[in-house]
Amino acid sequence: MIFQTIITGLSIGSIYALMAVGYSLVFSVLNFSNFAHGAVITLGAYIAWALMVSVFKMSFFPALLLSMLGAGIIAFFVERIAYSTLRHRRAPSLFLMISAMGVAIALQNVLYATVGANLYALPPIFTQDTFSIGAATISRMDIFAFVFSVIAIALLTIVLNYTKVGTAIRAASYDSEMVSVLGVNLDVLVAVLFLLAGSLGGMAGVFMGIKYMVYPSMGWITNKAYIGAVIGGLGSLPGAIVGGILLGLLESLVSVTVIGSVHLSTFRDVFSFGILVLLLVFRPTGLFGRHVEEKL
Amino acid sequence: MLLRVEDLNVYYGEAVHALRNVSFEVQEGEILSIIGANGAGKSTLMWTLIGQLKPRSGKITFRGEVMKPVPHAVVSAGMALVPERRRLFPNLTVRENLMMGAYLRGDRGAVQKDLEYIFSLFPILKERLNQYAGTLSGGQQQMVATARGLMSRPKLLLMDEPSLGLAPILVNQIFETIQEISRQGTTILLVEQNAKKSLAIAHRAYVLEVGCIVRTGTGQELLNDPAVQAAYLGVSQHKEVILEGKEPC
Ligand SMILES: Nc1ncnc2c1ncn2[C@@H]1O[C@H](COP(=O)(O)OP(=O)(O)O)[C@@H](O)[C@H]1O
Ligand SMILES: [Mg+2]
Repeated sequence: MIFQTIITGLSIGSIYALMAVGYSLVFSVLNFSNFAHGAVITLGAYIAWALMVSVFKMSFFPALLLSMLGAGIIAFFVERIAYSTLRHRRAPSLFLMISAMGVAIALQNVLYATVGANLYALPPIFTQDTFSIGAATISRMDIFAFVFSVIAIALLTIVLNYTKVGTAIRAASYDSEMVSVLGVNLDVLVAVLFLLAGSLGGMAGVFMGIKYMVYPSMGWITNKAYIGAVIGGLGSLPGAIVGGILLGLLESLVSVTVIGSVHLSTFRDVFSFGILVLLLVFRPTGLFGRHVEEKL
Repeated sequence: MLLRVEDLNVYYGEAVHALRNVSFEVQEGEILSIIGANGAGKSTLMWTLIGQLKPRSGKITFRGEVMKPVPHAVVSAGMALVPERRRLFPNLTVRENLMMGAYLRGDRGAVQKDLEYIFSLFPILKERLNQYAGTLSGGQQQMVATARGLMSRPKLLLMDEPSLGLAPILVNQIFETIQEISRQGTTILLVEQNAKKSLAIAHRAYVLEVGCIVRTGTGQELLNDPAVQAAYLGVSQHKEVILEGKEPC
């Protein structure tokens, strides 16, 4: 039972981490919370639905890759349209955040107006999803989502640590003005940033769509990922990973806990948002952010 | 002429007119010093030259081409900035900081050769390559900042107060290094509050006061100029000459 809970927790936690990493990447360089990230993730799931169900009958892997690419490109255009002018004018980060919220609302409503409010299912990856280890029933999809999230995050870490553009992103998280006068075209750097954040978000969207459903407001789940990012320390990459996974684990443990006759699962979201409030009050820099300026 | 600056006017907002009709030239191969007190506009000038600050008016011509205020274009044209207070990336290793300086260059082999040149200037950096830049001493950080500027193989190296905050012995070292870099063929535009030392190594120099160029000459001429001595070299008898009744520009 506990084993099963941990697997579920790791799975949802790693999906949180995929999304949280996107928040942290953008925050680390541009210093604002990109609340349009949830809408990008939703669109990633819809792309997968179009590719696998409604328009084409693609198989899972090509559909996953194309959905990631699509979400990355959408994130790029969101930046071009909604943030880049503000950025060039050196607007306060609050302005960018408000612009992001506007984009989120707009994209969600475009979905309602075009595709509608229906819930769609994505085809399962495994025909027989569960298997047993002893008394525990394990979902193959959970393991799959965990493994692929870990691989994706590992690849991102390699890009950030061992490529030129990755090094520039880490440098820019500290001092983007200096990065610019060393000859780095900041517009290109930010484009790469949003492509990376968007495509990881697209992956998360596809996994969410398979695990649950595809619907216009599914991006709400990114609030949880955001909490994960805050737990780890906004802007810190290891923080986003650890924070996301930790939150997933805690949630799934809380969900199966019963005290007396009270099932704590009904309080799961209260619990998550409670953590957010407590953290913002007592440790706004999270687990990994020692100083506000120490990022990535 | 390597660099020609004509009638440059730079503002911060509407209220602060930081550079007023600044004009000067840098010749190939020289060390050009611009001295000025705190707030004179030296850093503003540097950040305008590198393209990060947009001038309201004026013209910057570098190697025969008019420069637009676009940093990556200016850097590819051959300028590099070693900024005031070094501005290293403390979360990157020394090697990564140096590589950031070589960002626009594709030739890996030549970059390796430049590292050798850097080590000939600053042998200690060879041992520090894999250390985080934030853990270095102030003197070593200044070395990394200078080296990072050199990694793009600039024709013109802009150095903003390299001696600021360094112990006297390190100050002497950094001025010797500047002369060595110059001998190796890089033209240097040096702005400093440390007037005495920077005039001593300069081929030519300008004095910048509240946004205006007020004097020019060879380094030696300015060292012997009573007004400069009074205002910048701590020779007290002629203080009123430059500090009083000055009408900017
Ligand atoms: N970001 C800024 N906003 C407004 N005023 C500034 C800014 N930076 C510098 N200044 C002003 O511009 C003038 C020149 O500053 P600066 O170029 O830093 O001088 P220096 O480098 O010679 O000490 C000063 O009066 C300073 O207060
Ligand atoms: Mg200055």
